[in-house]
Amino acid sequence: MFLLLLSGSMGRSYIVEDAVEGYLSKLCELQAGSITGLLIGQSSTQRDFVVTATRTPQKEESAAAAGNSPDKEWVIEHARQVSRMLPGGLSVLGVFIITDADSKDTLTTVRQLVFAVENLISSEHLWNPADDDVTDCVTLHVNPKTRKTFCRTFDVKDPKSMAKPADWKYQSGVCSSWSMVSCCINVNMLVPLPDNRTGTENMDTSLKEELKVWAHQLESGVCLIDGKKLAEDTELTGGQKRNVRQTYTAQILITPDDQRLTDVVQRCGGSVSVRGAIHSRAYLHSNKPKVKLAEKLLKRDVVSTVATRVQMLLEELLTSEEESKGSSRVKQQTEQFCLPRRIFCPVKASGPVCVCDYEFSDEGLSEVTDRLKEMLDIDAGEEDLDTRQETPAEITERDGAAVPAVETVEALEPKRNNYIGVAMASAVALLATAASMLYLSDV
Amino acid sequence: MVVTVSQSFDTGTILRVRGPLEFKCQLDRTDALLIHKCISTTFEMLHSQVKSESCVLTICDSPVIIWPNRGVYATPEEISPNMLCEDIHQWIQTDEQESAGKRSAKKKSKKSSAVSVINLRLMMEATKTGPLSAPILSKTVQKSHFLSTTLPIDCVVHTTCNDTIKDAFERLLEALTHQLCEMEKVILQHMKGTTLLIPEPLHFLLPEPKGLVTMVYPAGVPDSQLEAQRKELHQQFDLPNDWPYFRRAAAYHFPNEPYKDGYLRNPHLVLTHPSLDNGKVYLVQGIYSYRHYMQDHMDDNGWGCAYRSLQTICSWFQQQGYVERAVPTHKEIQQALVDVGDKQASFVGSRQWIGSIEVQAVLNQLLGVTSKIMFVSQGSDLASKGRELANHFLTEGTPIMIGGGVLAHTILGVAWSETTGQIRYLILDPHYTGAEDLQVITDKGWCGWKGPDFWDQTAYYNLCLPQRPKVI
Repeated sequence: MFLLLLSGSMGRSYIVEDAVEGYLSKLCELQAGSITGLLIGQSSTQRDFVVTATRTPQKEESAAAAGNSPDKEWVIEHARQVSRMLPGGLSVLGVFIITDADSKDTLTTVRQLVFAVENLISSEHLWNPADDDVTDCVTLHVNPKTRKTFCRTFDVKDPKSMAKPADWKYQSGVCSSWSMVSCCINVNMLVPLPDNRTGTENMDTSLKEELKVWAHQLESGVCLIDGKKLAEDTELTGGQKRNVRQTYTAQILITPDDQRLTDVVQRCGGSVSVRGAIHSRAYLHSNKPKVKLAEKLLKRDVVSTVATRVQMLLEELLTSEEESKGSSRVKQQTEQFCLPRRIFCPVKASGPVCVCDYEFSDEGLSEVTDRLKEMLDIDAGEEDLDTRQETPAEITERDGAAVPAVETVEALEPKRNNYIGVAMASAVALLATAASMLYLSDV
Repeated sequence: MVVTVSQSFDTGTILRVRGPLEFKCQLDRTDALLIHKCISTTFEMLHSQVKSESCVLTICDSPVIIWPNRGVYATPEEISPNMLCEDIHQWIQTDEQESAGKRSAKKKSKKSSAVSVINLRLMMEATKTGPLSAPILSKTVQKSHFLSTTLPIDCVVHTTCNDTIKDAFERLLEALTHQLCEMEKVILQHMKGTTLLIPEPLHFLLPEPKGLVTMVYPAGVPDSQLEAQRKELHQQFDLPNDWPYFRRAAAYHFPNEPYKDGYLRNPHLVLTHPSLDNGKVYLVQGIYSYRHYMQDHMDDNGWGCAYRSLQTICSWFQQQGYVERAVPTHKEIQQALVDVGDKQASFVGSRQWIGSIEVQAVLNQLLGVTSKIMFVSQGSDLASKGRELANHFLTEGTPIMIGGGVLAHTILGVAWSETTGQIRYLILDPHYTGAEDLQVITDKGWCGWKGPDFWDQTAYYNLCLPQRPKVI
């Protein structure tokens, strides 16, 4: 006779950096109503790793008690901004809330938050979800008075998902031996703009389409790690000593899709190109990560870093267009804009894991450290920043287009707005101060 | 000017590179000259792409990747530029390797195609080594046209057993560069306003010693409009003007590539031909597909043999490029006979047999092909038709339909000795009802050499000998 063991599905297991415990403790001591924030790390099929946590930034107007119910829109916007600052392998895993409010109510609140956050972040992805993606997100409720923590997960793919209890364990050096795979990748995109619709929103749509095509090419591209094509299931740190940091260099080979879906020749109102190179990287947990994971995370980072920078630039342009609607500015024939460069900052002094930020050419490092503090609650000095991976873009006289005459050649550099300012209409936006414009007119 | 190979085609290895190359540009003007300049500039960019260090050739079904412009650097490390090209085969995983035990014994008795093909894929390396500067977004506002397509690159290089990887890849690069030039020519030549035709490469196998040549044709322009070009090519290669070497349908079919329609091509090629005293073998020229009972979900067992023989003949005309229409179905054949007044309307959909006369009529009606009829009053007389059959295969080279007694067959060739009068007939039997299994078909003689006793000695026979149009 057989004995059937019916066990419920096991809950997830979160391994959390010690520093996060200290951070949450500190927040408990603030005694400021309810405090929300994001939990950041990496999920794997077996367990999840939380590397850092960051509180939702305080809104300027409500410096006083933030009130008992968190501002959902604000939390989501914060998550969106933070997402842009996370290299491959790091993502927003969930939401924490520090409140002494009723546990059941809190669960409802935090469930709403985590679904909203996840939906927004995944709606901005330009790649297709993979079968092996983890779709569980975590909610952590800390009662500041009793210091009790309640950790539960929801499957965000299922809107009716019920809370499942999960393990929450603190550990030191969670990511101290994580490995990193990186590459420098060439970007060379050229897309037409529709006839009579060449505004910034059209650029956004056209470039997004092209980025999706590129994402698909990268997805099916061949990936070499340290010069070798390895089988998907090969373990990256296989054979090496455990707890030794590894860095790998990747190469990606691509080919255009064979099918020609669009018409060969179409009318257009112009074109937009993005040309240059970017540094891309992905961090991998140290629990026998496979080549398949490294490839997936790196390729996603490639696409999102380009998409993020394009987004940021277009957001800038939209804002400056709003500002200058009154003035009669002649629309130039060709304009060039520098995309911001990527700068990295370690999450904590000793670990290899870094977050990143984007610096426009008219900004200084102090703006970067300000943003790191505001968004990720990281206290970093300018000397902590890694600025060696990319140099700022430089506009040269020609970008290869066959045009007869060049009148004046100077770069257009939009002034950076601070992050929250762009998103929230109430904040003060800095005007785009164009030094001068690049003209390529037809004679 | 074309890239040719002058060596025996049956030996060595063919390297074939295929891959799409993105072709994008903004056509600023409707001025033809400026458009041409725009296109040429884009081609210049493609040339430098192909010559750059980012150009990569990957060998299909293998872990081998080669950077031809970085001193022919390869991964895995064991592959060095001075290795012999044919050694690449060791790295390629083939289907045969997986079922090696089962198949090898039987396979050895058959002649396999002597030239081997290594397929490569053209790719670009998107990554590069730093340092690098962040990207620039450039926006141009101008009413114009945008051209976006991919060029279907397809180059071949024929290597001998002595060629090293370095030699072979240098030649491949030359072939790639040359093909880009040809493609540019074709685009510019056929460009009308802003309509553009995609250049398509095709390979043609010319008689020894010329070997495999590659031509670039404009997509969508039918063979009938390219006759002048073909005339030039025939002159250039010193080819007779009565065989269409350069029609699209005649493009070389690479060995081991399955035909999409699933029919077997030229099953007779694996047979060992009879050797008669002072005898010679005269065979069908070109390529045909084997058509027989039960194909296309059509159960014509017992009545369709002549139809199948006719279909085999039609496939020959299609595959040499003489006609573009697909091989007709039984119904279409019957309809054609009704249309010429040979049969009543009720004939369509029936299971009535047809004979050589009907075959001749249908070939004329549907394909515009004329045929000669040969009448033999008794089967035994066929033994004396050696000379005529041999001549047919020499001058026409088409398959012959023979009907008599209660059966129809296709004759693909004859082995005949002028001095001894010995004769053998290469028969393709349409009565086969099985699957497209080359081994079964040749082992069991569904395609095979028969003696004079194959024929019903007392029955009379009619043969339909299709005449090949003398065009290119």
